[in-house]
Amino acid sequence: MENILGTNLDRIVILAYFAVVMGFGAYFGKYSKTTSDYFFGGRRFAWWLITISIVATGIGSHSFVKYSTKAYQYGFSSTMTYMNDWFFMPLFLFGWLPIIYYLRLGSIPEYFERRFSREARYIATFMILMYMIGYIAIQFLTLATALYKIYGIPLMLTVVLIAIATTIYMHFGGQTSVIFTDLIQGFILIFAGLLLFSLGLSFLVENTSYSSGLKALWDNLSPLEKLPLANFNSPPDFNFVGIFWQDGIAGSIGFLFLNQGLIMRFMAARSVNEGRKAAAFNVLVILPISAIVVSNAGWIGKAISNSVPGALPIDLAPNDVFVAVANLITSPGVFGFIIAALCAALMSTSDTLVNASSSVIINDIYRPLTKNKSSDKEQLRLARLASVVVKVIAVCLVPFFNSFESIYEAHGWFHSTFTPPLVVGVFLGIFWKRFTSTAVIATFIGGAFLMILGQMYPTLISPFSHGIELRPGRGYSYIGALYNLFVCAGVGVLVTFFTKPVSENKLTGLTVFDVHKLKNIFKGSDVNESIGKPVVVHYKIKDLNEGMVSFSKEDMEITKSKKGDLVYIQDQRWWLGGLKSIHATFDEPHDEKGIVYINETQCDSGMFIKGLALKAEKEM
Amino acid sequence: MSFYQTWLPFIYLYGVGGIAFLFGTFLIYRTGALRVNYETHKKWIWVLFYGYFFYAFIHALFIYLAIGSI
Repeated sequence: MENILGTNLDRIVILAYFAVVMGFGAYFGKYSKTTSDYFFGGRRFAWWLITISIVATGIGSHSFVKYSTKAYQYGFSSTMTYMNDWFFMPLFLFGWLPIIYYLRLGSIPEYFERRFSREARYIATFMILMYMIGYIAIQFLTLATALYKIYGIPLMLTVVLIAIATTIYMHFGGQTSVIFTDLIQGFILIFAGLLLFSLGLSFLVENTSYSSGLKALWDNLSPLEKLPLANFNSPPDFNFVGIFWQDGIAGSIGFLFLNQGLIMRFMAARSVNEGRKAAAFNVLVILPISAIVVSNAGWIGKAISNSVPGALPIDLAPNDVFVAVANLITSPGVFGFIIAALCAALMSTSDTLVNASSSVIINDIYRPLTKNKSSDKEQLRLARLASVVVKVIAVCLVPFFNSFESIYEAHGWFHSTFTPPLVVGVFLGIFWKRFTSTAVIATFIGGAFLMILGQMYPTLISPFSHGIELRPGRGYSYIGALYNLFVCAGVGVLVTFFTKPVSENKLTGLTVFDVHKLKNIFKGSDVNESIGKPVVVHYKIKDLNEGMVSFSKEDMEITKSKKGDLVYIQDQRWWLGGLKSIHATFDEPHDEKGIVYINETQCDSGMFIKGLALKAEKEM
Repeated sequence: MSFYQTWLPFIYLYGVGGIAFLFGTFLIYRTGALRVNYETHKKWIWVLFYGYFFYAFIHALFIYLAIGSI
């Protein structure tokens, strides 16, 4: 066994953390009663809840180590990948988000069937499942690599224990558990990262002549390390233009448009506008903070190396900088807490992916094969079973990924192999009506073939290289994404021109050109756009038709609503973030002002408490 | 520090990225997905452009400060 790190106090802190998260997640399991609850959390949450839980999804367990390494080597340009996601926000917020939300898509592959064909859906299902399960395996491996050094337990046993721990709270809770545990873990991630930054700055003040930690940090980085963007095209393993195409373009589209876990999170929002707020706040505010959270150990490490000789080993490997800096600047217990943040990153990323994978298995394999004949209860049971199966497969894949030279290489291989065809397929599908079913299948198969050729013969990528050096025997790294996108798009466009497009009627609501019609499709009738005000009411149980609620005439006047309009009713306590809420349809009004009639099922689903006021507002 | 290290990445990022951003904004406007006569949508137009210039400003500021620290 290699060196065992940390103290007993650190180990207790990590174990306590696992226990708290498992208990927290299991508690919220009671809010998952249907497959809609399990996968989408009942589409009821406020934007701020979605935002924080997205933080924890976006930061994987490898993020701390990976970005600290780059920060130590190259300085502030390690933040590039966290700060180049805005360019596709217009298309996401007003194109893709309304499409997936209003069409009530259960999964990304479902879009491929509705837009193209069942065959396209099956291929997309296979690729997305492979991508997600592989990603889960990589997350397990990353954390297990860190934990087995702390506990001295064999690597594979550590992997199994992590898988079991995440299963316990996810198995019963589904998306609601994922959102609430990720909310807590998101806070912990940010707090731990900023705590490390703060301790690092204090360390610099204590060990140098500076009175300000920030000034000490700034002055002890070279001008090159202060640049926020990397050198345009060198070195081959970290250059601006390659990372721009891999992460800023392919990665951003993949993350915003194809990440099933993220998409499910947005679909858990109570409305499209809440989803927009969550996405915009996340990219504008949370991502820059996250960039500091995951990178700062590297910057601090570099500043310490330059200003406090001997504090860190002279031959410190960049990959070890996160642990080395954390060890140096924290005390026992706090180190355990920092490692617990790594656990938080793993658990929150993998639980999202596991939930997304089981959603794909149920929505894209089980339901189409059984023609959706089984009961919702049965499907919910199978969804839970699927999440266990996904984890078992992921655990089995860990040795395969462990055989790669590094986790990043394994991760990069997955990204470059599975993302570009899907990115091109979904992007052309949304924005080009003429794009055909045959063309999308050709994009998947022909594009993948050309991508493999590019990996085998890197000279094919040379015309796209922007002057990046070709590494003998290793090929191009990031800029390969531009080649992959080009060949996939090329195949798709070419085949489209040689195949007959479907009639526009069959594409209604499936492209950006119909977004303005989606509200009508969602509601099933004309949208009432008049702007009313929310009302505060108490409920009474009545035997109403399914999905209907009845308000007084006066309350309907205040909300500017009519029979058939959609209404959102939530517990008045804002900090619940919509946890206790329902969507319903206005029925005929009554005369009891301040009272809403709901049925037993709605009361049960919304977890409303007798005597506590509810807030109701017209949706559309 | 050379142009390749300082302003070229910035120009490329906000040039090529800017084309994607403007194309997307134009497309959602032309298709009616974004309606300038809706109050809520008006706010979103501001947010979208604010986001673009916010990031451009942050990156430009750090490049300027890094050059100034030589």
